[in-house]
Amino acid sequence: MTGYRYHEQHTPPPARQVTDVAVERFEHIFEVDPKLMTAHVAQQLFPNWDTLRIAASRGDHLEWMHRHWAYQVISAQELLDEIESEQPG
Amino acid sequence: MTIAPELSDQVVSELADAVGGQHVLTSKTARYNRARVPAPFPVHRWAERVPDLVVMPASTEEVAEVMRIANAHRIPVVPRDGGTGLTDGAVPERRGIIVDVKRMNDVKAIDTDNRTCTVGAGINMLKLNEVLAPYGLLYPDDPASYPCSLVGGRIGTSGWSLIGSRYGHSRDLVLSFSFVLPTGRVIRVGDGGGPKVSKSSTGYQLKHLFMGHQGTLGIATEATLKLIPKPEAELSPFWAFPDYDSAHQCVQKLAHAGVATFAGAVLFDEWKVDYLRRDDEAYIPQPADVRALVCAVAYGNADEVRAGGKRFMRIARDAGARYLGDEISQGDWAARHDRYATPLHGRTRAGQVVPMSWHCEDSAINWTDLPQVRLEWHRIADDLRRRFDMFDDWGIFAYTSAATGVDYLTEIDIGIWEQELDDESWTAWVQAKKDIAEVAVRHGGSISACHGACRDGEVDLVPVELGGAFDVMLDVKRAVDPNNIMNPGKYLLDRAYETEVE
Ligand SMILES: Cc1cc2nc3c(=O)[nH]c(=O)nc-3n(C[C@H](O)[C@H](O)[C@H](O)COP(=O)(O)OP(=O)(O)OC[C@H]3O[C@@H](n4cnc5c(N)ncnc54)[C@H](O)[C@@H]3O)c2cc1C
Repeated sequence: MTGYRYHEQHTPPPARQVTDVAVERFEHIFEVDPKLMTAHVAQQLFPNWDTLRIAASRGDHLEWMHRHWAYQVISAQELLDEIESEQPG
Repeated sequence: MTIAPELSDQVVSELADAVGGQHVLTSKTARYNRARVPAPFPVHRWAERVPDLVVMPASTEEVAEVMRIANAHRIPVVPRDGGTGLTDGAVPERRGIIVDVKRMNDVKAIDTDNRTCTVGAGINMLKLNEVLAPYGLLYPDDPASYPCSLVGGRIGTSGWSLIGSRYGHSRDLVLSFSFVLPTGRVIRVGDGGGPKVSKSSTGYQLKHLFMGHQGTLGIATEATLKLIPKPEAELSPFWAFPDYDSAHQCVQKLAHAGVATFAGAVLFDEWKVDYLRRDDEAYIPQPADVRALVCAVAYGNADEVRAGGKRFMRIARDAGARYLGDEISQGDWAARHDRYATPLHGRTRAGQVVPMSWHCEDSAINWTDLPQVRLEWHRIADDLRRRFDMFDDWGIFAYTSAATGVDYLTEIDIGIWEQELDDESWTAWVQAKKDIAEVAVRHGGSISACHGACRDGEVDLVPVELGGAFDVMLDVKRAVDPNNIMNPGKYLLDRAYETEVE
């Protein structure tokens, strides 16, 4: 078993604290603050591409679910905009 | 081979003759894999619930033959399908034979004229819908276990569907099914005699009786299902509220709006929002003034969904809601069909992450009682967490069960650090389940809206909830299953046989 090929993949971007319990390293991908994973469960090191792959495949899964249940998804924002524009004044 | 002595070589060879030797499974793996369901249970007691062997029949006739053998030898039989049931229904309490129906997973017929299909009880809804897709048809039974629960288990539990407010729940969508009684006799139950009838007044209505019994009355082998045209459009707006009361008012206004495409609405309480703010990518960045959430869902023809959707948006805006945007709304709804993706970890009181299993109490509660039930349930959960640092309150969802907003599937989700459960904490948990059920019954609700109520704790309240109807349940059980071979130990039904002795 060899290690991951690209060493730089092991260096995640710096964490930005988003709440008192979560950090963000990649846009819209949140992680439990590492200080909360010291006693019972250790945080795993993922290569960057794997983190991104997991997030992207979650997106694919949700897209698949939409297609599975209906031919089209209607934007509620569009409906709200229509209501606002119909409003007098 | 490690099977119980009562399953003699003779029994095993009779079963092998019935289903084929390769479909009688006796290995440790085959048996332990069917010893539990996702509902948490102390790991040190796992061995108590292992079956003696597993059979995997391929037809109604084979199931009937297995039943005849089991009945003749008085061996317990537990039907098992996806094994996702949350009330231990598919878990053998008295060892015996697991009848795993997963090999019966074929689509036997698709009737596009009457919009029905006939399938084996071991088929999964997702797989079925892939077969139906080229016909533009859909089977809309949509539990949050959609990718992994199966049609026979939906019959065994009389399941609840996320979009049941529009299309009905399992009991409405299953038109009829072949059913093997504990004696091996095969009957067809439905609305009346015809397999594709949705409303009949002939005779007793046995379909309800033979659904939701948790395998205590027999085994469904083949079912005829009602189909709908695959919806043109889906809409699922989510809104944020600064307090629970406004959200509670708004969810009922949405349900009361009389929108024909309304498929369901969900109310999230403050504890749920706190949990999501901790562990769900959509809610982590939400501002602190978000204290409760509501969503409404519509399916149907695009023009109708749009028209109804505009009405929802007006109602929510007038109720003071803030729309959370398309990305969260669409993503969160799509994730609801498959809750196995829920992050299975919780927090100790100190905030440290621990692996946790998910437990869900799933009562049916009237809208008027939701606020009070929620407070009483959280008090029970808080007390438990204070005493044992292995329980975590993950909050409450309330989903409409019907288009009129009469009652809500109300689930309190509790994280349990299952590996740490010892006898003391398990006893406390069972008592908490009993207390949760007591609150539901006292408020005029029902202990379970979807899973059934045969786990330790809640089951004690079933006679209280059902009153005289529970005695009739005992009479029915004794009449249908004279030797108590079907899933013995469940639903306090052993009492049916004690009465007889007296
Ligand atoms: C993540 C998750 C989300 C869930 N969400 C929902 C939800 O939204 N709505 C809902 O209703 N439930 C939900 N559940 C619970 C569960 O999925 C349902 O109870 C489902 O109907 C069980 O189906 P199954 O095929 O897994 O059955 P199993 O667990 O195998 O069996 C369930 C019961 O039915 C009996 N049974 C199985 N097959 C037969 C048969 N052929 N004939 C007679 N009896 C049989 C079993 O003995 C058992 O008592 C959820 C579970 C999970 C894990």
